[in-house]
Amino acid sequence: MPIGVMLSDILASLFKKPVTEKYPYVRELVPERLRGELFWDPTKCTGCQLCVKDCPADALELIVLDKVNKRFVLRYNADKCIYCGQCVMNCRFKCLNMSNEQWELASTSREPFLVNYGRDEDVQFLLDRAAKAGSEGPCEKP
Amino acid sequence: MNLTIPPLIALLFFPGGIFLLGSGLLYEYVDRKLVAQFQNRIGPRWFQPLADILKLLAKEEVTPEGVNPQLFVALPVVALAAALTAALYVPMFGFQATFTFRGDLVVTLYLLSMMTLCIGLAGANSIDRFSIIGATRTLTQLFSYEAPFLLALLGPAIVASTWQIGDINQYAMTHTWLIVTQPIGFIVAVIGLMGKLELPPFDAPEAETEIVSGALTEYSGRGLALFRIGKDVELVIGLTLVVAFYLGGLGNPWVFLLKTLVLLLITAGLQSLFARLRIDQTVGMWWRIGALVALVQLLAVIIGLFIGRIF
Amino acid sequence: MEAKVVPQKFIVPIGPQHPALKEPGHFEFTVEGEVITGATVRLGYVHRGIEKSTEDRNWVQNLYLLERICGICSHIHATAYVLGVEALAEVTAPPRAQAIRTLVCELERIHSHMLWLGVAAHEGGFDTLFMYSWRDRETVMDLLEGLSGNRVNYSVNVLGGVKIDVDEKQAASIRKGIDFLKERTTYYMKVVTTDETFLGRTRDVGTMSYDQADALAAVGPTARASGIPRDVRSDAPYAAYPQFPINVITAKGGDLAARFVVRINELFESYRLIHEILDKLPVGELTTRVPRRIPENEVISRVEAPRGELFYYLKSNGSEKPERIKVRTPSICNWATVMNFAVGLKLADMPMILAGIDPCFSCSDRTVVINRTNQSQVWSWEDLRQYGIKYYR
Repeated sequence: MPIGVMLSDILASLFKKPVTEKYPYVRELVPERLRGELFWDPTKCTGCQLCVKDCPADALELIVLDKVNKRFVLRYNADKCIYCGQCVMNCRFKCLNMSNEQWELASTSREPFLVNYGRDEDVQFLLDRAAKAGSEGPCEKP
Repeated sequence: MNLTIPPLIALLFFPGGIFLLGSGLLYEYVDRKLVAQFQNRIGPRWFQPLADILKLLAKEEVTPEGVNPQLFVALPVVALAAALTAALYVPMFGFQATFTFRGDLVVTLYLLSMMTLCIGLAGANSIDRFSIIGATRTLTQLFSYEAPFLLALLGPAIVASTWQIGDINQYAMTHTWLIVTQPIGFIVAVIGLMGKLELPPFDAPEAETEIVSGALTEYSGRGLALFRIGKDVELVIGLTLVVAFYLGGLGNPWVFLLKTLVLLLITAGLQSLFARLRIDQTVGMWWRIGALVALVQLLAVIIGLFIGRIF
Repeated sequence: MEAKVVPQKFIVPIGPQHPALKEPGHFEFTVEGEVITGATVRLGYVHRGIEKSTEDRNWVQNLYLLERICGICSHIHATAYVLGVEALAEVTAPPRAQAIRTLVCELERIHSHMLWLGVAAHEGGFDTLFMYSWRDRETVMDLLEGLSGNRVNYSVNVLGGVKIDVDEKQAASIRKGIDFLKERTTYYMKVVTTDETFLGRTRDVGTMSYDQADALAAVGPTARASGIPRDVRSDAPYAAYPQFPINVITAKGGDLAARFVVRINELFESYRLIHEILDKLPVGELTTRVPRRIPENEVISRVEAPRGELFYYLKSNGSEKPERIKVRTPSICNWATVMNFAVGLKLADMPMILAGIDPCFSCSDRTVVINRTNQSQVWSWEDLRQYGIKYYR
């Protein structure tokens, strides 16, 4: 009548190092395909808004400042995003990619989660306009 | 070792009282750390048991409806008092027992059982389903392992022909280790100790996944802290007793530390090796196998002594 | 203050908050001493209104919503949905995509069964087996993270194919991980079938014969442990299962020990299948084009989740949003088996019995509208069949 069948495992563990990862003092390597925070390259964007249409969480919003001259600002809510990667898949010009380094996305306030991506002058224009209007003005949405 | 300490100091500070509470927390830490090591993980840090107790003492104590409030508050205190009193008769930390008298083995065992009885009463006090079932299981387990455990501790008492723990300790120090001459008794004593302390696999009375916390479900704050400290102290005393009887007695503090920690290692290994036994399986095992084996050991001891006396 | 008199048989409430349950659900066991004399179940604590929310989102967004019905079987929900949508749009995903879908399905099955092994051991008080099996489960989680980028909710499927590719390096790491897991699973099989303390908790507990399991319409490993050879992967193969057939694993005991044996044997079968898929992975592209507006139609999609048969009914109306999606998860079918056979067991067996069917409460919370009229009839199995045959004629 065998009892204590796990004895060999237990005795071996007495002399092994525990398998627990001592995060945050020790950070293991993350895999290359990890879906971390989203990043947008404004130079190649044509404003098709396929990424905005298919986002399951409504985390993306493309604000069109000038369609002909391709001046867009992408507003990304990192707290609404579910990191699924559908937007990356949809973009035909490879403007979007998910980082595998920025994945520790905890913060004590909501500020860092609302990210405005774009050329610096475009973002500045948008922020000035918002400040002038006194509140977040209506933006173009599809 | 013989140390003359004034009785009040012994009772309150050393080797009983505060020092005993501290060592209880230390032994709990070592036990949890060893079980974690057996399970290939990091256990808690050294101050975890202390932090638990302090946190519990700081929390609000909620007296539930339907209990007898005086009994509710008094039971943890009585349990801890019983455990601390039992320490006075045992050779704690390698020093000779502060108070000894003839027959103090029975008194010590009775005081340790009183602690379990208090837990059972605390469970029966509430009207919560889980507490009642937990109390039933605690008392059932108390009745089942008590007899074999006592028989296992009786073996050394018979060969030393005395009921005084101090004298049995003396006998164990001077003769060959009783684990060699009474191995079955040692096994029954260790497993009985695990049953007494409600360590897995005998933790059906406080099975977390079935009846939340068993008899102590309704306790919080100070009451729970006192019960937990009482259990830790019982751990230390139980280990001391078994070591003093079977593992060659306790002469000085270093020997005490070494031997009790070795026994704790064995106990932690046994804790992580088995699945939890159902309460009916525990009772069946104890009354069928445990009691019989302990009786066989006792008979062997008596016959051995008889033969020894003839020649 | 008087203490109430406790009647002879009283009701032990398990949940909604209880250490035995990983998710909320309410069970009432009527006990006499330690013996259970009655059991009822009440679910619905995790109802999130997912089926209604699908009507507001377009077909692509629904993929990610439905994936999150359950954390442990998320990929199989997405696969069932995607297979259904592709059938509605009358496209087929390329063979490489189907094979990768099957690969992730099997990896998820491994992950789910190892999780269950640990949880069931924990319910039985065997914490050591819990810790070790979850340590080994980390291997398969790391494999899935390396493949897809996330440990749960892998989001590997898209309408028309898959998002990720399996290259040589990935395949080599998967093979290495699977070989390590195979060795450990052999060890766990030995522990579960020979350790006497563990067998004392699982042998002859909750025994269901073949006929009883059939009458209660059990699915998945719970049914297969009673000898019913019911497995959607072989009854109605989907994705790449026609090219990579499986053996249906059954056991004869019908008790809790047999359920352990069936799930661990399924692990071995998954390992074999993964090796086979990696060896014979078809070349080709990963996606095909699926139109944004799905033509009007209705379709049924059946897949084998780790817990049993998962059933999706999809109805489209020609627009970008679905008309109705109905999900029937396997855990719903298996509750009756627990409630019927709980009587006569001891209270201490209760958590293991609950864990034995591998309940997924998040999956089970769907609404059913019961129409109570005076003309309600009881339909037998034969009546249902005849109705189905007449309907499709």
